[in-house]
Parts: sequence; structure tokens; C-alpha cells
Amino acid sequence: MNVITGRGLCRRYVQSGLDPVVAVADVDLTVEAGTVVAIEGPSGSGKTTLLGLLAGLEVPDGGTLEVMGLELSRLSRTERARLRQARIGIVFQSFGLLASLTAGENVALPLALAAVPPRDREFRARLALEEVGLGAAYGARIDELSGGERQRVGVARALINEPALILADEPTGSLDEENAGDVLALLTDAVRRRGASLVLVTHDPASAARADHHYLMRDGRLSLGVPA
Amino acid sequence: MNLPRHALRLVLREPRRSLAALVGVAIASTLITSVLLFGAASSSTVTRRALADLPVDAQVVLGQGADPAAARAILTADPAVRNVTGFDLAHFNSAATDKAGTATQTSVGVLLGLDSSFSSATGLFGLSSGSVTPGAIAISRDLASNLGAVPGDTVAFQLPGGGSVSLPVSGIVSIVGADLILGPIDAAHRAVGANPPVNVAVMSQTDLESLVLSKIPADAVATDPATAGGTPSGVNTPVFAPDPAVRRELHVQLDHAQLPGDPVAAQTWLDTVRRRVERQGAGTITWVDDAAASLEPLAKDLAWGQILFIFLALPGILLALALSRLAADATADATRRHAALLRARGATRRQLGSVFMGATIVTALIGSLLGVVLGVGIGFTLFGADLASAGAPGAVLRGGVIAIVLTTVLASLAAILPLRAQLSEEIAAGRQELQRGGVPLWQRLYLDVVTLIVGAVVYVVAGGSGIHPVLNAEGNPTVTLALTSFVAPLFFWVGGTALLLRVVTAGLQRTGRLSLVLGRILGPGGELAGRSVTARAAAASRAIVVLALAVGFATSVLVFDATYRQQQVVDAQLTLGADLKATPLAATPASAAANLAGAGIAGVTPFVDRVVYVGPEAQDLLAIDASTLASVAPLSDSFFVDSTASAAMAALQSSPDAILVSAETAKDYSIVAGDHIRIRVPDASGILKTVDFTMAGIALEFPTAPKDAFLVANQAYVVAQTGNDRISFVLARADGNVGTASANLARRLGSGWQIADLGTTSARLANSITSVDLSSLVLLDVGFAVLIAGVGVALFLLAGLAERRREFATLIAIGAEPRQVRASMVGEALFIGAAGVSQGLIAGGLVGLALLQILAGIFDPPADSPAIPLALIGVMTVIVGLSLAGALALADRGLSRLSVVAALRER
Repeated sequence: MNVITGRGLCRRYVQSGLDPVVAVADVDLTVEAGTVVAIEGPSGSGKTTLLGLLAGLEVPDGGTLEVMGLELSRLSRTERARLRQARIGIVFQSFGLLASLTAGENVALPLALAAVPPRDREFRARLALEEVGLGAAYGARIDELSGGERQRVGVARALINEPALILADEPTGSLDEENAGDVLALLTDAVRRRGASLVLVTHDPASAARADHHYLMRDGRLSLGVPA
Repeated sequence: MNLPRHALRLVLREPRRSLAALVGVAIASTLITSVLLFGAASSSTVTRRALADLPVDAQVVLGQGADPAAARAILTADPAVRNVTGFDLAHFNSAATDKAGTATQTSVGVLLGLDSSFSSATGLFGLSSGSVTPGAIAISRDLASNLGAVPGDTVAFQLPGGGSVSLPVSGIVSIVGADLILGPIDAAHRAVGANPPVNVAVMSQTDLESLVLSKIPADAVATDPATAGGTPSGVNTPVFAPDPAVRRELHVQLDHAQLPGDPVAAQTWLDTVRRRVERQGAGTITWVDDAAASLEPLAKDLAWGQILFIFLALPGILLALALSRLAADATADATRRHAALLRARGATRRQLGSVFMGATIVTALIGSLLGVVLGVGIGFTLFGADLASAGAPGAVLRGGVIAIVLTTVLASLAAILPLRAQLSEEIAAGRQELQRGGVPLWQRLYLDVVTLIVGAVVYVVAGGSGIHPVLNAEGNPTVTLALTSFVAPLFFWVGGTALLLRVVTAGLQRTGRLSLVLGRILGPGGELAGRSVTARAAAASRAIVVLALAVGFATSVLVFDATYRQQQVVDAQLTLGADLKATPLAATPASAAANLAGAGIAGVTPFVDRVVYVGPEAQDLLAIDASTLASVAPLSDSFFVDSTASAAMAALQSSPDAILVSAETAKDYSIVAGDHIRIRVPDASGILKTVDFTMAGIALEFPTAPKDAFLVANQAYVVAQTGNDRISFVLARADGNVGTASANLARRLGSGWQIADLGTTSARLANSITSVDLSSLVLLDVGFAVLIAGVGVALFLLAGLAERRREFATLIAIGAEPRQVRASMVGEALFIGAAGVSQGLIAGGLVGLALLQILAGIFDPPADSPAIPLALIGVMTVIVGLSLAGALALADRGLSRLSVVAALRER
């Protein structure tokens, strides 16, 4: 069963007075359930834009995109938001943590948005933090955590709603080599344990090597790649 | 590096930043310009009203041997002169009639010789009956009453120097409004409020010359009315140069279209005309400038008025400039981005500062220019007609220059601090350090509390020391403000603002339950709003304080205006005596007051106002019916020293010879309750008769009483002692609309009575800033307060949007629905709005109370309590709420345009 089925996906950006920039051009992508897919490419190749399309944050200018059986272009913004809230986890390169919340509250944020009662939120957030090795960090302020710890909190947040699909945008881009390896292992292991799918966008060949399927992206075009 | 070019480029390439900075400056500049134009327009209004009631602008007194025709030629030729009429005055020592063997005599008075056009030109000396036939006279009602004379009788006048003349009466003439030109013309006499004669006879100028003037020696002098009835032994009379027995005058009316609106400029213009005419008259004529005398107290009043208008608008002006700070917050991202760009091109820190300061000055200049244009537009829309007569080009130029200079300088200064902080942040940005500011110096020194304490001390000391209430001797309503009146409200504003900032900031850092409360109301978005407000405590407290001050500013202005209007009515009621005042045109006894009762009239009371003498000093004796006065005229407990209104009236009723004296009289003559006072009161024929009274208390104010010296006694007692039962007027209280009651009463009573009501009296109280209608100023101030509130919150929300772009993008990415993200912003606006408005209403109410101290210097008596216009405050609050909704909509629009993917990429 496919979690993602994209056919002929296009995304252009039009700026007044300038030629349109084609960020994603005629991309076909299929992600099967329970697989890890890596999309590797240099900066500016369109990886993040493609991830934005897969997450329903942007709507493609052309092509069709089904995520977990739902045609995204037919969903409203609210419906796409609910899909992300319930079934998709996202990990960001620069962590995407809210400085006004503690580590635990950041992890529990998707549950808060889903109106889960505070007690249940806290319980599940503590479990998620334990899973990423930060069991004692529930009440910690974000600025008290190291880069590696912050990304672990980000991973815990992506996992807390038990998603079927996790989208990770350069999850190790802000980390040193040691932390990068740890976080990536943590993420892929957690995904595999859950039988979920992971789309990993990266410019790091070593990260891409952990994937079941490997794609290369250049100038907005996607092609099958060979693991390094 | 070409710094000016880079500064200009910054203004143009960061339009959002420039626009945000420009808004506050433009609002401040608009407010300053329009308030200054309001001041100019109100000067013109007051000047015009002050001169409107003057029958003539100048009395040109001809010296002995002067040629009237030559003097008239000089005056007529002057370009400022519109009309010249002849007016001769001859004093007489007594007048008498002998009808059917019964001789009746009255005391001093004047014979007037008028140009045939005098009455039509000035509106004075209109005939009530009969006419002025050649060789005959028309006499005033008082003279007719005193002599019992009617047209057809003959009156014999004893003239100064021993001569006499008998003249037939051909008509009855009104002398209403002629006090100024009938009274003495020398400053010393005018200063003590010498009473103009009431025994007046009018004839043609040629008749006066041939029949009267020829019989008065050139060196004869007039008899002083204060000594006409005899001076008690041991009483000193003031020494004045005696008035000559004959005055030959030309009365001048000027072309008011040429008169500048500003009273000081108008006085200068009048002075120029006077000098020009006197120079040509070469010592043969003296210009008595009635117009300049009327304007004299206005210049000071209006100077205070200008200070008051600016002072009332000052919080708004400063708040508008404070928006620059919020604007800097809202566009900090643009500042940092541009600074980084310049840095990458090799700009030093000093150059960076110069570029940004240059851009700030350019923006402030553009904003202030835009504000001046808007301010002039608003000024001409709201008070264009008055402005045109005030000399619009000059007023616009003055207002514009002041607004541009002031706002450019202040806005540039206001922008320096946040700019320095932002440029420092830009430099330290790479380190991602948590910026923790220390406690500001003013907070460590508790300057907010100190300022409030000083304000309270000034309020108590200035309010209780009697700085304000001494009015000028003539009892004219003039402003007696002192700078101290402004100190307390100013200190309350400054100290209150600082204290508010301290309390709000401290409160926001301890709002653990805020996100819980907002979460319950708005769901997860509200919860985040609570967190965000706490995390952005400094910015949030600035927004709350700006909103609170804007609402407080509007509230205090509304309270001030409502109390101002309340006191205008009290002023008019005190001057008029009640809602309505009916003056009989013929001698009328007190019993006639009952004729006024009827539909639309709730109560009436007869009133007698006689000029009496306490020693040598002329004072007004108000003889009242103490049993009915309180139900008709406004009597406040504050009018009486150590007593109440009802106790004072009871004291009069309990003893027929009881008398209330003014504070000034009690002080001057060292009179205390129980003392016996001997006063000379005119009888029916005008002869002064000594009457004994017993002091019953001290009154500070009394309906119809002048501001300085007066006496209040029982009417029945005064009538019994003098045999003079003529009332001066009847006061009435309207039952419903005063204007309707006035019209009905005038119709019912016919032409034998003159009716005045509150409306006409308010309009006539023109020689003070109390006549200025503040509604335009209030509209301006409150309008701008609402605008500032809306812009302030909008800038805060936009700043939040700019600061939290990644936060909002993250929320959306992890599944926040649009309504949840919106709820986060609504929660912030809701909290800021509720906190700001509630604190603003409290602060505004308190400052409104402090502003009453200013009103104490404008209105006499001062307000007992403030008027709180709850409905208007409610409407203002609703409009502020709507402006917040507008600000929210603006921020929501920005949110809906947020590119999530792009925002997530930002570092």
C-alpha cells in the first residue's frame, strides 16, 4: 500500500518582473507504507518545496498527489491541517521549537492542537521524551538544551501522535557529526518500530544511505539514485 | 560609503518599516497642527464675540476748543473707520417735576445730545414710546419713574455751575446696553466699577448745544453720585479727578473685517488706528479705546487657552510618538536584515548608525509633513469659518512649522533607543544569546512613585492654597489659571504611565494562569496566546500601556469636557440667576411676579438689585424672597462659608434685617456674624437712605451677583425701609425645555417685559475662554486616541507576526488549523485589549479628576464634582474595541499571506 502517490508534480514561484522559478518539475514519487525514502540533493534543488507539497503546506501547480489515499488538492486548508495533525509528523532542520514552551509542552503541542486533555498530553509527552532519551527534560526551557537535545525533542514531537508518515527536512543539518548520527538512528529506528514511513530530505549522502529507497533531486527534477 | 544615499535607499527599500515609523509621526503632527489651528480659530471666535456686544469701538473725546467737524473729518478719512456719530453728554445735579402743585425731585443724571443716526448705528437709546421732537427730550424709564413723569410733562434740570433748564418730555427711551458710554471715561473711575447714571435724558445734538451747553460754564465739574446723598461722618471717599460737566464725543465704529482674529494682534491693530488718529488730531482729541479694553483680558485668557488646548492634547501627541517604539518592534526584522546587508558591504557600526538615523529623520520629516497636510485639512473641515477670520495663512504657517520641527525632533529622539538595541542585536545575532535586560534605572529609583507623590502634593497644596479663585475687581469672567494647575495632572500622567508600565510588566511575568484562562475561552490557540504574551512581556506591556494611556487620554478628555460643559451651564445660571430672567420695562412691584407663573414655568421669585453704598463703596444689594429663591435659582452649599444654602436662607427668613455679605466685604470691613451694618440704599426717588442690617453670614457666590462685592438681604425689609417696592426682575425655573419656556413666557407677557434665558446668556458670556466650544477639540483628541489605540495594537500584533513568523509556520506545519492560529492572535489582542482598556478607564478617570484643578481656574465657582459622561465613555470604548478588531483583521491578513515553507527555511 502506498502512503504517497505523486504524479507529474509541479511547483513554480512567480515573482513580478522576473522569470518564474520552477522549484519542482514533473516529479513522480511513490512511497510505500513502512519504508524509508531519502531524497538527496544540493541546496536550492527543490527538496524542501517537494516536502512542503507532500505535507500539504503548499498546493502543486500541476500533477496529482495522494497522501494516505486522500487527494490533497481536493482538501481545504483546515482538512489538510487535520491530516497533518492526526497522521503526519514533521521534523525540521532548525528544530521548530517554540521558545515560550518547555520541552515537554513542545512535544505535547500536536496533542494540544487535537484538544487532548492536559493529563493525557503530559503522560504521552513524557513517554515520547523517554523514547528519545530525554526522560528528565519535560520541564526544561528550550534555551537550556543543546542542539542535539533540541532535535531529539523535535523527533519526539513528530512521533507523539503515532503518525503513519514522517517528513524530515534536513533533520541533521544543524547538528555536529556525532549528534547527527545519533538523531538519525533514533529517527529511523523509531519509524521502523512503528511500521511508519519516513521521507528524509537531505544533502548528506551518509544520511541518505540509511534509506530503503534513494532519490536524487536536481533543478526540481527527481530521479532514482544509487546509495553511496 | 554614501550615507545619505543609503539612508534614502533604506527608506525606499523597506517600505513596511518606513510606513510603520511614519504612522506615529504623522498622527502626532496631525494632532499638533489641528490643535494649534483650533487655538487660532477659538481666538478668533472669542475676539469676535467679545466685540460683538460693543455698541461702539471707541469714544473720541474732543478737547476744549476742538472743532467737531475737523475731528469728524479726520476720523471719517481713516481707512479703519466704518462709521462716526456725534455724542455729547452734560451732567445735571438734579431733575424735578411739578405736577398739580406736587414737586418731585431726583438726584444726579445726564443729558445726552445725539446725532440723528446714533440710535440706528449703535442700537442704543431706542424709544419705548413717543419720539424726540425738536426742543424736547426723551427720558429713561428710571428718570420717568423717579419723577413720575410722562410725555407731555416738563422736567427742570439743575446744571453744574448753577444754571438750569426746563425741557418738555416727548418720549421714553431705553438705556439698556449703554452703561459703558454713559459711565466715566477715565481709567480710575472705571476700575472701581463706578455706576453709570440711570437718570438719563436724550435730545438732539443741536438742541443740547443750544439749550443746555450754553448754560454750563467751561470749568464746571460733575457731582460724584457717591456723595450726592451725603457722606456719613468718618467715612472717607475715594479721591478721583472730578468728571467735567460736559463731554463732547465722536463715537467710532471700526471695520471689523480688518480686525485680526488673534486678540493680541487685534489690540496692536487697534493701537495703530488710535495712534494714527491721535497724531492727526494733534492733542485736540483723546481716543478712549473701548474695543481694546474689551480685548485686554482676552489676550491672557487665550494664552492660557492655548496652553490648555495643547495640554489636553499632549498625552495624545506623546502617545502618537510612542508608536514609533512599537513601529520599531514591528519592523525589527527589516532593520536587522538591512543592517546585515550593509554590514556585509563593509559598513562600520558608526556608519550603520548614521544610515539608520538619517532614514529615521527622513521618515519623521515625511511623516510630519503628511501630518501637517492632514491637520490643515481637519482644521479647515472642523472650524474653517473661524480659521479664515483668524488669518488662516499665518495660523497654518505657524502651526505647520511648529508641528514639523517638534515631531521631527521628538520622533528622531524616540527612535534612537530601539534602533541602538536592534543594531546591537544584529551584531550579537550569531551568538543566539538570550537577551536579558536589567531593571531600568527609573524603576530602581522608584521615580514613578516619587513623581506620583510629588503630583499628589502639588494637587493638594495648589488646590487648597487658594491660588485660583481671585478674579479681577470688575468681576469680569477671566481665567485665573496658574502653571501649578497643570503640574499635578502632568505628574499624574508621567508617574501613572511609568507605574503602569512597572505593574503590567511585573504582572505579565507572573501570568501562570493566563494561558489556562485563554485556553478555556479560545482552545489551544488561546493557550498559546497566553504563553506568547508572557514570553513577550516587554513588548506586550508596552502595547498594554499605550492602549491604556490612549483610552485614559480619551476618558480624561471626555470627563474634562463634560465637566467643562456642566460648569458653562452653572456659569450661565449664576450670571442669569436661573433658567429664565424676566425684566419689567416699567416700574413693577414684587406682586407682579405671580403673573409669570403658568405653563412651562415651575417656579418664580421676585428679585431686587440695587446699587447701594457700604461706606464710600458702591456694591450690589440683592434683595430676595428667601422663601422662594432656593426653589428657582441654583444655590449650592459651596456658595456659603461655614454654612449651607438652606441654613443661609433660613437665617434670612428668621430675621428681617439679616444680611449676607460677600467674603471680600467681610474682609475689607472686618465684619463678623452678628455685627450691625449701616448701608445707604436708594429710595423710590433715588435719594440714598441709611438702613441698618445685621450680618448673618458670608456668601462667596450668589445668583446674578458680581464676582467681588455684594450683599444679600430680605426684599420685604428693604422695601419697608426705603418705600421703594420696584423689583429689578423676576427669576423663573423652567419646567422642561428652557428655550420653549422662554418663548412661551415672552408671548404671554408681551412687550412690557424683556426675557433672557440660559441659551442667550451662555452665548453672551463671550469675554473668556469659557465661551469656547471644546467639542471640536474633544472630537479631535478622542478621535486620535481611538486611532492611536488601534494603531498601537495593530503594531503590536504585526510585531508579533514578524517575530513569530517561524512559530506560526511551525504551528501550521505540525497541524494547527487556521482558526487555531488565528485564536492565538485573537487571544493576545483580547488580553491586551481587556488589560489596556480597563486600566485606561481607571487612569482616565483619575486624571480627569486631576484636570478639575484646571477648571477651578477657569470657572468660578469651581466644579463641586466631575461630570462623568458614561454613555460617551461607553461609545468610545466600543469604538476602541472596533479599532482593535480592525487591527486584528490587519494582522490576520498578514497571517493568511504567510508562506509556511519560506518561513520554515528562515534561520
